[in-house]
Amino acid sequence: MFELLFKYVREDYARSELIFAGDWPQWLLYAISIFGIAAIGAGIAFRRRDVAAYRLIAIGLLQTTMLAVVVLLISQPTLTAQKIREGENTVALVLDRSSSMAYGVPESRFQVAMKSLASIVEDEDAPKFSVRHYEFGASADLVDSFIATSPADTATSIADSLRVILEEARFNPLAAIILSSDGADTSGGVDADELAEIAAFGVPVHTIGVGRSEIADDVELTDVTMPARALPGSTVSARVTIQHDRAASTRVKVYDGDELLQLVPVELGPDVNSTTAWIEITLDAAGSHQLRFSVDGEATEDELRNNTRSTLIDIADQQYRVFYYEGEPRWEYKFIRRAVGNDKDLSIATLLRVSPNKYYRQGIDSPEQLQDGFPATRDQLFIYDALIIGSVEAASLTTVQQEMIRDFVSERGGSLLMLAGPNGLGNGGWGQSAIADVLPARLPATGMDSFRRRKASVLLTPQGAGNQMLRFSANADENRKAWGELPEIADYQLTGSLKPAAITLLNAATDAGQIPLLITQAFGRGHAYILASGGTWRWQMSLPLEDQKHETFWRQLLRELVASAPENVSLVATAESGGTDVMLRAEFRDDAYTPIDDIGVTAVASHEGGETFSIAMQPAADESGVFIGTLRPPQAGTWYFEAVALRNNEPVAISRTSILHESGQAEHFGFRQNAGLLRRLSEVTGGQYFDADDLSALPDLLRYSSSGITETEYRAIWDAPAVFILLFLLKSSEWLLRRRWSSI
Amino acid sequence: MPKAARMAWIAFALSLVTVNVWAQAIDSDTDASVRRERDAEGEFQFVRLAYSSNSYGRRGGGWGGRQRWQTDWPDAEHHFSRGIGRLTRVAVADQGRILTPMDDEIYDFPWIYAVEVGYWYLDGQEASRIRDYLLRGGFLMVDDFHGTWEWAAFVASMERVFPDRPIVDIPESDEAFHVIYDLDQRIQIPSRQFIYSGVTWEQDGYTPHWRGIYDDEGRLMVAINFNMDIGDAWEHADWPDYPENMTALAYRFGINYLIYAMTH
Repeated sequence: MFELLFKYVREDYARSELIFAGDWPQWLLYAISIFGIAAIGAGIAFRRRDVAAYRLIAIGLLQTTMLAVVVLLISQPTLTAQKIREGENTVALVLDRSSSMAYGVPESRFQVAMKSLASIVEDEDAPKFSVRHYEFGASADLVDSFIATSPADTATSIADSLRVILEEARFNPLAAIILSSDGADTSGGVDADELAEIAAFGVPVHTIGVGRSEIADDVELTDVTMPARALPGSTVSARVTIQHDRAASTRVKVYDGDELLQLVPVELGPDVNSTTAWIEITLDAAGSHQLRFSVDGEATEDELRNNTRSTLIDIADQQYRVFYYEGEPRWEYKFIRRAVGNDKDLSIATLLRVSPNKYYRQGIDSPEQLQDGFPATRDQLFIYDALIIGSVEAASLTTVQQEMIRDFVSERGGSLLMLAGPNGLGNGGWGQSAIADVLPARLPATGMDSFRRRKASVLLTPQGAGNQMLRFSANADENRKAWGELPEIADYQLTGSLKPAAITLLNAATDAGQIPLLITQAFGRGHAYILASGGTWRWQMSLPLEDQKHETFWRQLLRELVASAPENVSLVATAESGGTDVMLRAEFRDDAYTPIDDIGVTAVASHEGGETFSIAMQPAADESGVFIGTLRPPQAGTWYFEAVALRNNEPVAISRTSILHESGQAEHFGFRQNAGLLRRLSEVTGGQYFDADDLSALPDLLRYSSSGITETEYRAIWDAPAVFILLFLLKSSEWLLRRRWSSI
Repeated sequence: MPKAARMAWIAFALSLVTVNVWAQAIDSDTDASVRRERDAEGEFQFVRLAYSSNSYGRRGGGWGGRQRWQTDWPDAEHHFSRGIGRLTRVAVADQGRILTPMDDEIYDFPWIYAVEVGYWYLDGQEASRIRDYLLRGGFLMVDDFHGTWEWAAFVASMERVFPDRPIVDIPESDEAFHVIYDLDQRIQIPSRQFIYSGVTWEQDGYTPHWRGIYDDEGRLMVAINFNMDIGDAWEHADWPDYPENMTALAYRFGINYLIYAMTH
């Protein structure tokens, strides 16, 4: 119908521009318009005394519209579009040969994709062009023709593959790319930068989606996120994400080797495709643990490989060091020491100013440790992973020492915990000290006594409820109840306004309303905390002897503080590109945490089976003391890495790490058709997304492209039937009205 | 009135007086008027334990009609608290406080002082409360009791607190004797009667003993100052005739116990 009225199909209008091809001068068109409108106006004015105004206006509007259509016809409206020159262009047919394309019954996705691409070439309506065949997985390969073999590539990277094709086409008249795929990209998708880079080539990418977007009988363990390291006995939270297409009850199991650590029931909701569960795991034995997470499958589920994921966690066999600087004897000091005294993974050294002229040290390793008071050099301070500053004046430290504390957080990556007290926080002048920037609050000035020796109850904030270190119970409701039942703290202190990046984990309910009690913010490589009380000891004295909440709070808080502090020498291995590559990042700093640059770094990768490789480590372009390297592991399993820093061929530092590499497994995760990715790719490049079941519009679409060798096509539309129908309707309407209103 | 009737009335009146006096003695253990002291702010507040007297204490009574636990009150804590404020960085309340074992507030004060404990009596409930208080992290300093009889009376209640924990001599190397001051000299700190009599001991308590009870982690929970009178030395710090060196030594013992309790 559209074509009957307007001469051409709707798509022709959509991909064309409208121009006016008439050769009458523009001034003449304006003159005709003005003369016509004036004549219509004069006719109305002449009859105004004899005919009702509304009738004159109606007739005038019809005549004016008639005039406008006539002027438009004289202008000769024409559609113009860029069209490929037949026989002189190339079209790239791109076939996904990754393992996920093997899914599908009775025909596999791969077979459907192959057929769909072949149908384009064989279509008689398709323009004439030469064809380049590409197959792709992690990258694209030019092939003579598609061979009907089973798809076997273990990774998919659409962006990398298109880059290869487009680079090769720089010297070819590439008019379009037709990509047939399930869109199950294992490299993490195609981000905005990559899309922009692909679109910049100006070649339309038409995508043909194969496979189902929803698979009701498949449950997939999409992701497991948990800390890479923890202290023995610490409880860590693993975030488990499950993809599903229908509601169900399932269970997630966690194994350490053959030992079942956790079994958690999970309800998969009816209106969502993804459900997240938090699972708490406690590991005592030091060393590297390979944890296997497994979600129960559906009864009819075919693909069970995506129900299991494994991850490594390193349980530290070292003792972390905390330094607590306190300005006055007080109960909080005593009870903190008692709370963590039996934690063999934490060593807490304290420097307590007991009298104006005497410091008292506890938890020291040698008589020399802290004998001169607060550390005077960076390497003395930076041996600690966390620093607690109690009720003590900032003026008790030199400016250099205060700056060292700031560097302790920002450069060393240590954690700073400031406690309340008569001489702490704002009262101690810390708001005007060199570490003011580090703190998550703008502390009140010293002139205002912000310390209140009054009891207050503690409230868990939503952010605090989600924080592992504030868990008394794995059950969220029980945890909230436990916090609600805690005895009041003995005192509190006003912290002033919070900084934008501050996170409030606990509040205190005081006589004057709620105030922040435990707040934190990241600063540089480390973190700063304020606990605006020196009175949590009341929990220990007020709760029954067997209650461990006070101990648990302080152990978990201090463990959180030290666990995030990096070593001065570190090696991190991360899986990149859908598990194909392993990226190594080695960082070397001296005891004062100053980056070491005058070194060379070698790295060795060892497979659990004994195979070893050396890895070339290169200095990072933008970070001092950082060296990076890449390994493409030839086989799955646990890989151990060792990076050695060499100066004059002498080793000066060694760092080790390990990673669990699951080669070939990535294709079995996220294997539903990612139509969204394919549509986005087509939209940004000027192409179009097609379902494999309906490709009828694609052959004709290939004629039009601004890429390759093109010519401009002009199509006149002034003679479209719709125009003449409109003219007829306008004139007949006027005639009918005149007949009805016989007075005109 | 016949003689027999008169004698009966006298006996009845005497019995009323006796019962009344005895009842007052019991009631005054928790006399609110005594305990109504000003609440001053401070991290540390001197808390005096108000205990019930044992039969020995009830027979003998205290000085000036006071109960035994009131001995040296209030000057002892006033003087000692000021000494703490002067010699340490502890934020100390000006005034002391008096609590019984069964006061719930006792848990808000992790250091407590009991005097003349040769006359104390802790029943099962009170002993259980003190045991709980100490094991949670509280500290008890006992002082001013002398000789075999008073020791036995003290131990009788203390054994109800800790039936299974021995009372031992605090070794000289213990941090309690070194946390601020190195208290290597063991000198018997006498009561005020030393000024008149010249003797430092009372009853048969010729030799001073610094004893204690420890928790499972080796931390001192109870400091037992036997055959000495540290409280008197605090109380008479401003008494011209009382030896200044004894007061100074008593301050040092008290401060060491306090700082130990606040650090261990």
